[in-house]
Amino acid sequence: MILSDILAGALRSGTSVMLASQGELLSERAGVINLGTEGSMLGGAMGGFAVTVWTGNPWLGTLAGGLCGLLVAAIHAYLVIVRKANQLATGLTLMFFGMGITAFFGRSFVSERIVGFNPVPIPWLSDIPFLGDVLFRHDPLTYLSILLVPCLWFLLFRTRLGIMLRAAGEREEVLFASGINPKLVRGAAVLAGGFLAGIGGVQLSVAYTHSWVENMTQGRGVVAVALVIFASWKPARAMLGAYLFGAAQALQLTVQQQGLPISPFFLFMLPYLLTIAALLLVERRRQSSTPEGLGRVFSGEAGG
Amino acid sequence: MEPTDLSSSNPYLLEAIGLTKRFGSLTANLGVNLKVRRGSIHAVLGENGAGKSTLMKMLYGVYAPDDGLIRMDDERVVLHPPMKARGKGIGMVFQDFRLIPAMTVLDNVALAVSREGWRFRRKELRERILEVSAKYGLAVDPAAEVWQLDLGQRQRLEIVKTLLVPHTRLIIFDEPTSVLVPQEVDAFLNMLGMLKRDGYGILLITHKINEVMACADEVTVLRGGQVAYSARREEIPDGDSLIAAMMGGKELMPISKPRAESEAPKPEALTLERIVIKGDHGETVLQEAEMSLRAGEILGVAGISGNGQRELAETLFGLRRPSQGVLRIGDRELQGRGVQAFMEAGVSFVSEDPLKESVVPGLSILEHMVLDGYPLAPKRLGVDWARIRSRLSASPEAKALALADPDRKADRLSGGNVQRMVLTRALVRGPRILLVSYPSRGLDIGTTRTIQQRLIALAEQGTAVLLFSEDLDELFKLSDRLVVLAGKRLHGPFRPAETDAAAIGRLMLEGGESA
Amino acid sequence: MKTDTTGAVLVPADTALRLRERIKPAAWTAVIVLAPFVLYGLFLSAYGINPIQLYVTMVKSAFGDLYGFGEVLIKATPILLTGLAAALPAKAGLVNVGGEGQLAIGALFSTWFAVFYLNQAPAWIGIPAMLLAGALGGGVWAAITAFLKVKGRLNETITSLLLNYVATFTVGFFVHGLLKDPGSFNWPFSPEISPALRLPVLNGTRLHVGFAIAAALAAVVWFVLAKTRFGFRIRVLGGNRLAAERAGFRLNAMYFWVLVAAGMLAGIAGMIEIAGIEGRLRPATGANYGYLGFLAAWMAWNHPLRLMLTAFLIGMIGVAGNSLEIGSGLPSSSVHILMALVLFFLLGAGRRGKR
Repeated sequence: MILSDILAGALRSGTSVMLASQGELLSERAGVINLGTEGSMLGGAMGGFAVTVWTGNPWLGTLAGGLCGLLVAAIHAYLVIVRKANQLATGLTLMFFGMGITAFFGRSFVSERIVGFNPVPIPWLSDIPFLGDVLFRHDPLTYLSILLVPCLWFLLFRTRLGIMLRAAGEREEVLFASGINPKLVRGAAVLAGGFLAGIGGVQLSVAYTHSWVENMTQGRGVVAVALVIFASWKPARAMLGAYLFGAAQALQLTVQQQGLPISPFFLFMLPYLLTIAALLLVERRRQSSTPEGLGRVFSGEAGG
Repeated sequence: MEPTDLSSSNPYLLEAIGLTKRFGSLTANLGVNLKVRRGSIHAVLGENGAGKSTLMKMLYGVYAPDDGLIRMDDERVVLHPPMKARGKGIGMVFQDFRLIPAMTVLDNVALAVSREGWRFRRKELRERILEVSAKYGLAVDPAAEVWQLDLGQRQRLEIVKTLLVPHTRLIIFDEPTSVLVPQEVDAFLNMLGMLKRDGYGILLITHKINEVMACADEVTVLRGGQVAYSARREEIPDGDSLIAAMMGGKELMPISKPRAESEAPKPEALTLERIVIKGDHGETVLQEAEMSLRAGEILGVAGISGNGQRELAETLFGLRRPSQGVLRIGDRELQGRGVQAFMEAGVSFVSEDPLKESVVPGLSILEHMVLDGYPLAPKRLGVDWARIRSRLSASPEAKALALADPDRKADRLSGGNVQRMVLTRALVRGPRILLVSYPSRGLDIGTTRTIQQRLIALAEQGTAVLLFSEDLDELFKLSDRLVVLAGKRLHGPFRPAETDAAAIGRLMLEGGESA
Repeated sequence: MKTDTTGAVLVPADTALRLRERIKPAAWTAVIVLAPFVLYGLFLSAYGINPIQLYVTMVKSAFGDLYGFGEVLIKATPILLTGLAAALPAKAGLVNVGGEGQLAIGALFSTWFAVFYLNQAPAWIGIPAMLLAGALGGGVWAAITAFLKVKGRLNETITSLLLNYVATFTVGFFVHGLLKDPGSFNWPFSPEISPALRLPVLNGTRLHVGFAIAAALAAVVWFVLAKTRFGFRIRVLGGNRLAAERAGFRLNAMYFWVLVAAGMLAGIAGMIEIAGIEGRLRPATGANYGYLGFLAAWMAWNHPLRLMLTAFLIGMIGVAGNSLEIGSGLPSSSVHILMALVLFFLLGAGRRGKR
């Protein structure tokens, strides 16, 4: 019973991070690291919530949230790709921008309540003992996000578009030699990444907590960036990492409910520490899976 | 996949007339004429810096010529940028491949070949790859990732890629055999023959005479950016006449170095015993190397660049740890120690890419002088720059090398001035052992002479000099002894007086397979 | 494909052209500096707030009287220190975004020492001891990032960022537990530190000597970087890692100690927040100062003396945020928008020359 609670909770609270990390994965595969994912998530959470309040339709909210995330990412794309600004500084600034602008617009929504998305048990499947509780009693965005992962994998590794995207992140001169503008490909990837991060934010506010709180993402965007590295830029592993993060969060709720004598603060820290530990583990046996273009960003060679 | 025959009466696929290309003050190509027939192999020979790559890059559209014109099918064509050249049916196999190591063979081909839409027919492309590779004996596994392939396989992939681009009819090969082992060279030449029979025009850039003699139908020799010689194969008497054309009648300079052969051998300054060195990707670069460098001698290291020179030099300066063996400086074993230990032991290092590895943006020449040069003269907590400045201005080395103004920022200097700076720095330290890579690269003849004289003088004062170079002329002129880096081994030592450039050259090219 | 085309362009030495070329950058700079304020003004006026009035209030509250000026300096103090914590490593080619966490742990350590060991101590022992405790805390926290970088090859950007959250929860753990004030009616904060440990304050303001400490440290960092042998080595390392390696520097040791020194600076910021302003540790003590410091450092191109200016500027905007909240009911964090706009324009403008 507790285990299935934790696992179901892992999915429920991990989905926002998962969506953001899938988006960040797209962007990093194309050679752009976007710490502004945090800002995109906040934008999505706020925008999605607001539109849901106004229209009462969470799907419209989802679309709006995605677009908000995309808009935030568009600033990153312009500054980093066109103006060649420093990727890390730009991303951090975006994080601040996201915090500021959502606090500004979100103020009037703080006490609003919405119906939003609610768990939709899938007929038959949700009746399976254990698995039904873990997998098939979630909100629609969670289901969609699970479907997204194989789609992204297919896009990245089985289509020409995916090859172009990966080439942009590896060696843009090769892509350029094929007559394709790497900047265009990168820009598209960053925008798509922002869109997904925005939807991740929507899941947080419209489906998970049904409320808007200032700075409610609490570093989930940053975790998403770290998870992509942990995942060696592979969609399925990023999903796993996100659910691990979610499980650590779910664990904390369960422990509180059970009244176990563990300080909640250790449990709060756990996801972040887990992320660092996971990074360390991956680094130990890494076989240069970092996209080459991205390696240059980390070593400070790209951008001023 | 055969070239589309537009069956015009013109036997030439491509005619280049009077091509000229300048970079700043340097004229890389001047009035070069070149014609390539369909179904034939045209070799372009020349020493390093003769202007071969510039010419090829103009034909592949990387550069637009400053002057002259290119005709295909009796029409004047513009090939720049490369997209246009490819559209006209020109393909190029670069020496440093245009491949993405992290992706599979299939993906790499798809990137180059498929044009429209966001999808591509994986299965069909896979079959086409297999078909072409079977036809020309270019075995590649479509599912393999490129980083797993060796250089020969990567080259085959590049060729397959080029052949699969629609309408390719002229293929430019840039030094194709430099990455191949001898057995692969035979297969490669064989494949060139097949391409030729199928009607492709082939431009082969190389500096290897024997390959030219073996396969070319026509030969053009470039020297100093101009055509020095051009003939059909049957008009060429033998390989030596090509060498003469490449060298331009200049003989190898007689050894101008005073030699104290009669003296008792000086003590060993640096010794390698069964050293094994691994490269950046864990591959073995050098096996069981034995070498000894004596005080007061210049030991030349010959070899085609990229055969482990960088890794060996880095190992001898503590930047890279040998995975096995003993590295002795004087009588101290230093394998496994860091740069500081080597510096303390009196080793100084002029690396092969000073712009990348030695220049700190924003710092002046003076400030560079204390990095592996003068000691960092203390003045309370800071640096006594005035003292370093006066030492520098008094140093004969700086004068001899015509070092630029010490206050100029090093990252704004030209390549030649950077080279002067790093050499001055290494010389003023008065090292016991000097490792110097390609000292005359990018320098004019006057400065080259000066540097060479300095190295000789340094050796006479008792410094042990290890000289890495591709320039056999320079190596023969300066070295007391020579070793050759080829085929993951160190060959030699040889005494310049007892061998000749041809023998060393053969060893460099063949990697000692026959030796 | 670097082709040299400049030679031909520079030859015609037309004076009018030259003049225009000189004015152009100046005009551009003006546009880049003013545009964010104009944009933010438009944004505010869309919400019925008079931006001109706001900017006037902003300037007035900063320069109008001694109290206001003091407030700005108080706000600028931790930003200056966390800015140094970003600028110093940046000179060595490192990206330290962990000022936030380093400040928090510095505050935690200094409070811990103040509450448990220094309660009876006179000011002349207690304050320096607290300062050292703060530096120790920040240093230890940065050492984790540094250790993971040097031994585990983990990128310092990501780890320092993640550790910020861990630091926040660590502070939360202590103020909810071991450090909780018994007389606080269950509110999560520490007991108040002894009055002897509070930093001396300038009469008529809340301005404390912390600002002088921060300014002195900025001068020290500038001196070390610009004038000492160690600073020279740091600049070489930051300029070209390969060249530093070839000059025989011990890169890992340098990376480690530079990061630890940066952490100590941020930790001192935490101590100053406790001893100068708050008097006790709360879960949100010093929140956001780490990030603001990073951005201030970026704006100053990591130059310690220019950083004093940018820290002051950000402090001023921050104080304006407070007056914005009181005056017009907007959340104080909405001035983050203004800060971000300023930075966007700077980032977009790029920079001539490198750090």
